[in-house]
Amino acid sequence: MIFGYLDAGSGSLILQAVLGGAAGIAVAFKAWKARLMGKEAMAEAEAPAESDDQAVPTET
Amino acid sequence: MYQPDPGSFRDPASHVVHEGGRVLRLLDERGLRGWEALSSSEFFAEATAAGKLIPAHRVDFEGSEAAAAIEHPVVPFVSYPYEWTFSMLKDAALLQLDLLDRALRAGLTIKDATPFNIQFVDGRPQFIDVGSFEAYEPGEPWIGYRQFTRQFLFPLMLHAWAGVAYQPWLRGDMEGPTAADMRRLLSLGRRLKPAAMMHVSLQARMEERMSGASVRQELKSAGFSAELILANVAKLQRLVSSLEWDGTGHGWVEYESCSHVERDRETKGGFLEGAIERHGPRRVLDLGANDGYFSEIARRHGALAVAVDGDEQVLDALYRRGTTVSLALGDLTNPSPAQGWAGVERPSLFQRARPDLVIAYGLIHHLIYTASIPPTTVIDWLASFGCPVLVEFVSPEDPMVARLTANKTSAELHPGRTAPEFESILGARFETLGRVELGGGVRALYEVAPLNR
Repeated sequence: MIFGYLDAGSGSLILQAVLGGAAGIAVAFKAWKARLMGKEAMAEAEAPAESDDQAVPTET
Repeated sequence: MYQPDPGSFRDPASHVVHEGGRVLRLLDERGLRGWEALSSSEFFAEATAAGKLIPAHRVDFEGSEAAAAIEHPVVPFVSYPYEWTFSMLKDAALLQLDLLDRALRAGLTIKDATPFNIQFVDGRPQFIDVGSFEAYEPGEPWIGYRQFTRQFLFPLMLHAWAGVAYQPWLRGDMEGPTAADMRRLLSLGRRLKPAAMMHVSLQARMEERMSGASVRQELKSAGFSAELILANVAKLQRLVSSLEWDGTGHGWVEYESCSHVERDRETKGGFLEGAIERHGPRRVLDLGANDGYFSEIARRHGALAVAVDGDEQVLDALYRRGTTVSLALGDLTNPSPAQGWAGVERPSLFQRARPDLVIAYGLIHHLIYTASIPPTTVIDWLASFGCPVLVEFVSPEDPMVARLTANKTSAELHPGRTAPEFESILGARFETLGRVELGGGVRALYEVAPLNR
């Protein structure tokens, strides 16, 4: 992730929350979960296109 | 007409230009908003009054489409982190953390965290990139944390924990070691320290797993706050403060350092003062400055003094004594070259030094006898500075030379080492203005000025 000229490093950003102490660990966990859920939502959106293809018979 | 500074171009919001000896910073709209937030804060007044932040004020400026221009005082000698001793980098790191802490408490933040934003002025670190400040947006993480670890924390850890000099690394890669590099370089014992586990191992692991992802929005929604940054900064302050260097691994210079003969100091000092009175130099370059004794004489006469030496321990001790001499750690047989973008972003050491007078006391016999540089080449090099030079000649009869050449035959040594030969080489490039004998006739000081100046 680039901010201006500086690559802040997503891993480093999440780590910061952890380094902030107990309150930060909760924040880091929530952010991590939100990112994971975001990825799952994207993966689901792509799945229907695949099953359409498989319904079409192919010649051998 | 102004010239852009070749080292200031990455941030579109703010960049430095030079006009008629003045240093100006041109701002676009975003930069102007950042400046207004900064300059109206009490933080700005306190930090500049304390000498931690470079003074700045708005000026009128024509000749560009900039939204605004601010002016700074000129930093007399620019140096780079690969020329700083351990204590210098440590103090710079503590300054960075201190300013970030105070800025956050004032509703501001610092965009980045690099030692290239800090210069040493009158012997103390000073933050010079006013364009790095902007208003803090709630929920925003510290963007510069990773850069802080790579350019401040890890180099200090290399020195303090691995006994490995960081200067050669930073000279080769100005971005600094990565967390993954540090994980491989630190011993198991060090890696298990809580600080290492967090900033090194954990950061390395998270960088591997999360490359390319964008988490800023998630962090903000999850409730990230400035308090978390402040807590992290406080821990880093304690960590950096605890890092100590015992002097090992100061690997610039392999040859033995010369224990300078005290008895001639007064004569050498007087010779220098005479030259200063005669030439009135504004910038004095002290090559092989050792404990800075002669640089400080130059300072007392109101000149800028740049002390270059390859011995980190000696230079670090000089720094810690609170000298106002400008310092640069460097091997004179391999001084900092011009590098960075297009080879101009970070000028070479001697391009930055620009001396009016050069002191070469206790130096050339090391270059000739230990580094095997021919005397003619050494004199050519001194002439290339284009200004008067004070050079100490040491004849082959001197006991120091005998020690340095103990394992060499005369066939292995270059010609030009005797006093008459030396004076002949000198005379081909310089006019001799003064000469004084030292040390029982085996050493002499020469004050020379380049021919055809």
